[in-house]
Amino acid sequence: MTEQKEFQNYTVNFGPQHPAAHGVLRLLLDLDGEVVERADPHIGFLHRGTEKLLEHKTYLQGVPYFDRLDYMSMMSEEHTWVLAVEKLLGIQAPERAQYIRVIFAELTRILNHLLFLGAHGLDVGAMTMFIYAFREREEIFDMYEAASGARMHAAYFRPGGVARDLPEGLAERIKDFTDSFPSKIDEYETLLTDNRIWKQRLVDIGVVTPQEALDMGFAGPMLRASGFAWDLRKAEPYDAYDRVEFDIPVGKNGDSYDRYLVRVDEIRQSNRIIRQCLEQMKPGPVRYEDFKISPPYRKEMQRDMESLIHHFKLFSEGFKVPPGEVYLATESPKGEFGVYIISHGENKPYRVKIRAAGYNHLQAVKRMALGHMLADVTTLVGTIDIVFGEIDR
Amino acid sequence: MEKLDHLEQLLAERLAHIERQRLPDAVVLHVTPETLVATMLLLRDDPQLDCKQMIDLAGVHYPEREKAFEIVYQLLSVHKNHRLRVKLAVDEQTPVPSVTSVWWCADWFEREAYEMFGILFTGHPDLRRLLTDYDFEGFPLRKDYPLSGLSEVRYDPAQKRVIRQPIQMVHPNREPYPVNPA
Amino acid sequence: MGVIEEVRQEVAERGYLLASADKLVNWARTCSMWPMTFGLACCAVEMMHAGASRYDLDRFGIVFRGSPRQSDVMIVAGTLTHKMAPALRKLYDQMPEPRWVISMGSCANGGGYYHHGYSVVRGCDTIVPVDIFIPGCPPTAEAFLYGILQLHKKIHRTHTVYSGWGVNGVTQTRNVRT
Repeated sequence: MTEQKEFQNYTVNFGPQHPAAHGVLRLLLDLDGEVVERADPHIGFLHRGTEKLLEHKTYLQGVPYFDRLDYMSMMSEEHTWVLAVEKLLGIQAPERAQYIRVIFAELTRILNHLLFLGAHGLDVGAMTMFIYAFREREEIFDMYEAASGARMHAAYFRPGGVARDLPEGLAERIKDFTDSFPSKIDEYETLLTDNRIWKQRLVDIGVVTPQEALDMGFAGPMLRASGFAWDLRKAEPYDAYDRVEFDIPVGKNGDSYDRYLVRVDEIRQSNRIIRQCLEQMKPGPVRYEDFKISPPYRKEMQRDMESLIHHFKLFSEGFKVPPGEVYLATESPKGEFGVYIISHGENKPYRVKIRAAGYNHLQAVKRMALGHMLADVTTLVGTIDIVFGEIDR
Repeated sequence: MEKLDHLEQLLAERLAHIERQRLPDAVVLHVTPETLVATMLLLRDDPQLDCKQMIDLAGVHYPEREKAFEIVYQLLSVHKNHRLRVKLAVDEQTPVPSVTSVWWCADWFEREAYEMFGILFTGHPDLRRLLTDYDFEGFPLRKDYPLSGLSEVRYDPAQKRVIRQPIQMVHPNREPYPVNPA
Repeated sequence: MGVIEEVRQEVAERGYLLASADKLVNWARTCSMWPMTFGLACCAVEMMHAGASRYDLDRFGIVFRGSPRQSDVMIVAGTLTHKMAPALRKLYDQMPEPRWVISMGSCANGGGYYHHGYSVVRGCDTIVPVDIFIPGCPPTAEAFLYGILQLHKKIHRTHTVYSGWGVNGVTQTRNVRT
């Protein structure tokens, strides 16, 4: 007599501390054999209350919080905040500052995508990629350090410009980097693009149709891989992006492999943008010349009482922002990073809502993981390029 | 500017019954819980308005107002390249219809608005806490909620587990403490 | 003169080796400290940098492990939130003795930038006993390396073979002199 056995689905708890979780993701997976039947991401393990804290800080003190949101792409996040504050104030940064910001925003994009390549490679078994990517990341960290004094959390962009001009020799150094960098990208591509294992793990995993991509609120590389030539740098140009030329890479199938290709191509385009900015950049002031908003020059402070008062007032009380509200989004490396500020005319914002770029992408894992094998979940978590600092806020 | 004028024109034709507001850089629609879902469906499906994406949902707390909460939806049309803002004022008791049927991605945004402000949504598939701790109580982004919260966690050696206790803001290791000879 | 050189010379001169067991054990321990990657936030990126091309933690015998049961050191790298605290403690409890904890960055040290937030643990030493605090936001990879070397020194000063923190099953938090 044959015994009848009943198999039941079982639940696997993935995380919150798992080497492939890219931080502190907890995923509850209902499995039928090895096939995912239901995925429920639990987030909030890095919920630090940034939105509440920002309501208690002046606009200038808010800048460093944005570094720490998406800690893979620090300056891109600052960029959103300072542009939003500038829009509320109705000012514009001087031209040189705009170029410097674009250069660093694009360096940050390279930084982020390199980490994506390294970590994603590591997740699906390509260890060498991690070492290669971090070699270049160290170089860019050195540039960060030269410009701002910090390797990661720079607080370099300020409302009305940047903290200080590029130090001597940094522009040449960035230029040298952009000369040699394309060959490094070729190296990465040799390692991954035609790699059989890489393709087996990525092709046709997590396919997102254009219709689904819109419905799930995708943006950035995730949306482009599904076939939309949508880039906020082109659609709503900010700073110096309308003065540089670049292409928008677009995917065809919307699978993980396309998303990888789109990001690699974005690195090349970023390199191109940086080169153009370095050529077009002219000497000039780098901060808005109103000392109610940007700090006075150090030299003047030493002999001018007025400047000293401005300095003290700015860094203790901050500046007042006219009442109003603004939603401003920029093309952060992960997608659309937006910030919605409501000002009541005080030196602190009344309410700040941060629209995290990876929020919708992680949410979409619920749908993308269905029907895939357990091992593919690692690929999915890697391909959406998440950072919990911004998702949990 | 022209784009906004055009958008306002479109809205005037199609959604004349909805209150409109023009800001320097945006067009804002003010809806009520009754008109919310119908308006959102029209905004999504009209070929000219074409707001296929909901980008953001933000809750705002105005304690002095009668309808103390405001929900702000940010919509985006990728094809037409315009943005639209929709606002909805509501008080604590009135539930708001969920827009998860219109945009799938509204799910987490509404969960977040619920946990941060206590705004209730009807028709939401799974209205749980999202970001805060599993045993968290209160709605932290309300204006009357203190910045440092009401409770904190620490390890209790007697119970051998991490416990939640009322906030003290005193750290055991920050007091003067005899240094152990190593 | 390195330890290995010392040992070699002594064996060459006398034909046998005389050492106290604790020193030998400590030497062995510091030569292969396997940390558990507890990357929580920004500091995890610097920790990865310390482990990657330029700084290369493998030189110190440090290999990151994914499982608490295989590791000696827990590096708390990043902001510890209320939601994460029970998980941190559970993983710490799963680590075999002797075990050490490095608190990396100002968030783990005392809440740091988020000290006044409603959901942040103000110092991870309220949850687990900490041996080394590394300041910085985030500490650079060099600072992190320095912290690890300080932990090596601390282990060398321990004169018992069993160096667990727990006394009679009660875990104590103590200040650390480096």
